[in-house]
Amino acid sequence: MSVKAFELVPAVERDQLMGDKARINIECVECCGKHLYVGTNDCFIYHFLLEEQTSAKGRPAYVTQKLLHKYLGLKKPVVELRAASALERLIILCDGTITVVDMVTLETVPVGGAKIKGVAAFCVNENPVTGDPFCVEMAVVSSRRRAVQIFSVHEDRVQMLKEVATPEQPVAVSLDGYFLCLALPAQYMILNYKTGASQDLFPYDCEERKPIVKRIGREEFLLAAPGGLGMFANAEGISQRAPVKWSESVIAAAVCYPYVVALDEGFVTVHSMLDQQLKQTLAFRDGHLLQDFEGKVVLASTKAVYVLVPMPLERQIQDLLAGHRVEEALILTEGAQRNIPKDKFQILHRRILQQAGFVQFGQLQFLEAKEHFRKGQLDVRELISLYPLLLPASSSFTRCHPPLHEFADLNHLAQGDPEKVQRCKRFLISYLREERTSDGVNGFREDVDTALLKLYAELGHESLLDLLASENACLLSDCAPWLEKHQKYFALGLLYHYNSQDAAALQLWVRVVNGDLQDSTRSDLFEYVVDFLSFCPKPDLVWKYADWALQKDQKIGVQIFTKRPISDDETAGKLNPDDVITYLQKHSQALLLYLEHLVLDQRVQKEKFHTHLAVLYTDRVLSLISRSTATEEQLSSAREKLQRLLRESHLYRVQLILGKIQDSDVLLLERATLHGKLEEHETALHILVHQLKDSPAAEDYCSWASASHDHTYRQRLFHLLLGVYLDPDVPGGPQTVAAVDLLNRHADTFDAVRVLELLPDTWSLPLLRPFLCGALRASVHASRTSQVALGLARAENLQLQHDRLKYRGGPIFVSEKKGCRLCHSTFSDPDCVCLPGGTPVHTHCATQRIRDSPTKRRLDHASNHT
Amino acid sequence: MIIKYSVVVSPSLKANQRQVTTTMPESTKMKKPDVKIVILGDMNVGKTSLLHRYTERKFKDTISTVGGAFFLKQWGPYNISIWDTAGREQFHGLGSMYCRGAAAVILTYDVTNWQSLAELEDRFLSLTDTASTDCIFAIVGNKADLTDPHAQAATSGGGQADAELGGVQTQPLPACPTPPASPLLNKQVSKEDAMALYGRVLRYKGLEEKTSPPAEKMCFETSAKTGYNVDMLFETLFDMVLPSILKKRREGENSTVDLEESRGSKRTKAGCCA
Ligand SMILES: Nc1nc2c(ncn2[C@@H]2O[C@H](COP(=O)(O)OP(=O)(O)O)[C@@H](O)[C@H]2O)c(=O)[nH]1
Ligand SMILES: [Mg+2]
Repeated sequence: MSVKAFELVPAVERDQLMGDKARINIECVECCGKHLYVGTNDCFIYHFLLEEQTSAKGRPAYVTQKLLHKYLGLKKPVVELRAASALERLIILCDGTITVVDMVTLETVPVGGAKIKGVAAFCVNENPVTGDPFCVEMAVVSSRRRAVQIFSVHEDRVQMLKEVATPEQPVAVSLDGYFLCLALPAQYMILNYKTGASQDLFPYDCEERKPIVKRIGREEFLLAAPGGLGMFANAEGISQRAPVKWSESVIAAAVCYPYVVALDEGFVTVHSMLDQQLKQTLAFRDGHLLQDFEGKVVLASTKAVYVLVPMPLERQIQDLLAGHRVEEALILTEGAQRNIPKDKFQILHRRILQQAGFVQFGQLQFLEAKEHFRKGQLDVRELISLYPLLLPASSSFTRCHPPLHEFADLNHLAQGDPEKVQRCKRFLISYLREERTSDGVNGFREDVDTALLKLYAELGHESLLDLLASENACLLSDCAPWLEKHQKYFALGLLYHYNSQDAAALQLWVRVVNGDLQDSTRSDLFEYVVDFLSFCPKPDLVWKYADWALQKDQKIGVQIFTKRPISDDETAGKLNPDDVITYLQKHSQALLLYLEHLVLDQRVQKEKFHTHLAVLYTDRVLSLISRSTATEEQLSSAREKLQRLLRESHLYRVQLILGKIQDSDVLLLERATLHGKLEEHETALHILVHQLKDSPAAEDYCSWASASHDHTYRQRLFHLLLGVYLDPDVPGGPQTVAAVDLLNRHADTFDAVRVLELLPDTWSLPLLRPFLCGALRASVHASRTSQVALGLARAENLQLQHDRLKYRGGPIFVSEKKGCRLCHSTFSDPDCVCLPGGTPVHTHCATQRIRDSPTKRRLDHASNHT
Repeated sequence: MIIKYSVVVSPSLKANQRQVTTTMPESTKMKKPDVKIVILGDMNVGKTSLLHRYTERKFKDTISTVGGAFFLKQWGPYNISIWDTAGREQFHGLGSMYCRGAAAVILTYDVTNWQSLAELEDRFLSLTDTASTDCIFAIVGNKADLTDPHAQAATSGGGQADAELGGVQTQPLPACPTPPASPLLNKQVSKEDAMALYGRVLRYKGLEEKTSPPAEKMCFETSAKTGYNVDMLFETLFDMVLPSILKKRREGENSTVDLEESRGSKRTKAGCCA
């Protein structure tokens, strides 16, 4: 059977009631706390005291003690018994009449007024509308009239409150608030006795089958429906739960949340109201009565009384989980929410969710498992601990007790199936990854990250490096042996680095590069190490491994130095270039690259470096020249570099280089450049024109050498070149063609007058036509431009004068009749000076006054001549 | 006797139905539905199969529905309860209970069975008297796969969607792949017949044809077996009942809103007098 929700426990045995009198039967029962009342067909009421006990085997049991029995004196069966415990009264229906007796003495209590006679059935309102706790509301069905009467029962009186007519004679009744739920002969209906509004529910033949009208909660009823259905209906006549399926012969139903218990001729059935499913069936012969009293379900045959004791909820849930019935377990748990204090429920709910997750995990239903772990806020280490060796040895974690699952570890769970183990591992990876991004793991990041790292390493997962390269809490002591075991040396190096143990990282990587250890993670590990060193803030490490790197490959190795920032001081891991250069002496290629880096890329303005580089370039060129095997290309590219440096740098020691190449008859261009640097232009041009015989080079030289100078300098150089061309005292005589070309090409650079004076008279005019035209045009252009400038300057001057007059105000009048304010004599000529305020005085008086005054500030103002 | 129960709700059957609850969002387990849709029709027309196809994305053997069952569907922020009813005479009396307050009713017949259409009018239409006044009606001819070749290929709700069930290990679907063109049966009910019935339903309910959804939109031919038109049917209805959800919610809020408003207007009046 699916769930053991209830246990059937005997409460009153046959010999405690009727002994061996065969014709005496139980008619009705009432249970109120420990008090059990039984009514029989021979008009007796029995009062028992039930003591619940737990038997030696841990099963519930009852010890029953008979307190009293009383004959009601009517010779008719006792039909119904209802306790009103607050009033200490028992309401009895016998022979169509309602009587009230004392609960303890069973003596009839006089209640005044007319007797309530002709009663077919009655029920008590469990959701009373009057607020009076010492008053019980009761609905009474008359056996003679089509009506229901509402009474209030007090300690000493019974009072009719209302009578409502019904369309038919009711057969059974149930009451909740103002809502009467009635079984009429052919149908059920809801009747609001306050407003009189009614709502038909559905047809039911009460003649054929005994109706059931059972209040199950606020404004909700459970009704026997055709076909043995248990239908739910609320006060509005709407069914909000799917029906449960009973047998056609159902006799009675009771509710013990979340279960509906029903009795038929041979069985007690238990359905869940949460999912309408049948949960338990108990064989029970001669069932007669089934009623619930405040959570206690009492079951009676005609001869004996039993109690259906609900099993503890947690036990039921655990049974379901043990049967892997996760959804049902969760529904049952969630259904209990309203019966359990909030905090307790939360703890229970979480635990069940976690357990459910593990059940599903065991079935490799990872999606569901994950959802339940999440919702149950599972301590992720519970999951990790299933995987052997993943938790760090130092972890303080111990599995929760009682255990959340039945698995010893992953191998147990997978039963040796490697496929399953793999799937579980992949699941854990995805779970941990998601978990890391949530704040759930705050307390134990180390455990999570370490486990993740181990999984990555073991499975060769690509995210291993990402994990190590980002912020992580992997425990070095625990991870290092693991990574070694799986030959993840590169990753281990990263981990060392993350833990500020760069020395260990480098040592490891160097061994991998050297082939002492095998790890193919990175084929470019050497480059990586070089790069790493170039950023390494510890100079001692850099120096330690630089030799190794340079020996391996100077070109790449030198990046240790070229990639790091230049600095004079060694703070913050920066290296002094001088030290580097000294160090690199043994590695010529690297040295060259380093100097190029300093001079050409970084543009460090230091003579030493520039000279050093120039010397290295020169040496290289010279060695190529002297070497017969050198190709044209090698030489020209080497010279190219040298020439560029010589031209562009201003810092190297020119004489030194010049000394080196003085004797070479190949490096003429270089020599010319060096002379140019020394401003020895004539020599330079001489070399270019007469030795190198390269007039374009000579022209370029002039342009280059005058590039940062003014026009006159440029003109001087070009005249020099012209002079060199026209020089008759050289072997081969003047180079007329070159001179003509030069003139014609750079007409505007030359001083035409000087050129004309220089040129031999024999030259024809057409030859120089471009030059002359150009010169003329330039001259005219210059003249016109200066005229325009002159005009503009004049205009500006005029404008300024105009402005000045405007600002100074009107004219100053000076006449022979006016006197000077300083000497009081009259003006004889218009020369005068204005004092501040515009008063004219003699020029000499003003001068005098300024000279005398202690402060000579006013001098500035005294210059207004009119 | 006990065997009788276990046929209905034996634990093993329940275990197979686990997927229902798996695909069902957690929140719907306990939530009160916002709106109700009821499927009516004679027994064996395929009501249970239709609901099953929609909710579980597959077609499997059904057992005759006992009483009724329902499924909660989360549609956007709303919970829609879909009630499957029993077509058997025995449970007929429960029909009006199920229909009470329904926002939509799906009247289902079997396209190979003329009588099943006739029954809708004779027996089931009157059950909808208790439905909401603005109830929407759909007429659905199921088992179209038996008569129409194009309904033999799944267009929606097909078994392809199994992957969505996540880690649940589903059995291979026995009947899902299109059968090799099974001999077609005689179609006893044409779409025109269904549309004519729709018109009579509107008349019965006293609804204007002009203001009601048109017959072309509300008459479907479906196949629970292949999934043909099944998603279309339910999703069309879900979209159409949205206004009635909103209305219901508004009515729920209205009382408080009214109080606020009346207080507000009083204050304004006082302000005027001052
Ligand atoms: N060929 C075919 N058979 C169907 C279809 N839908 C249901 N059936 C079959 O019809 C029978 C009755 O289906 P069921 O869903 O129980 O009908 P209900 O009584 O209306 O709930 C079952 O044997 C189903 O296999 C369909 O679309 N095509
Ligand atoms: Mg069905």
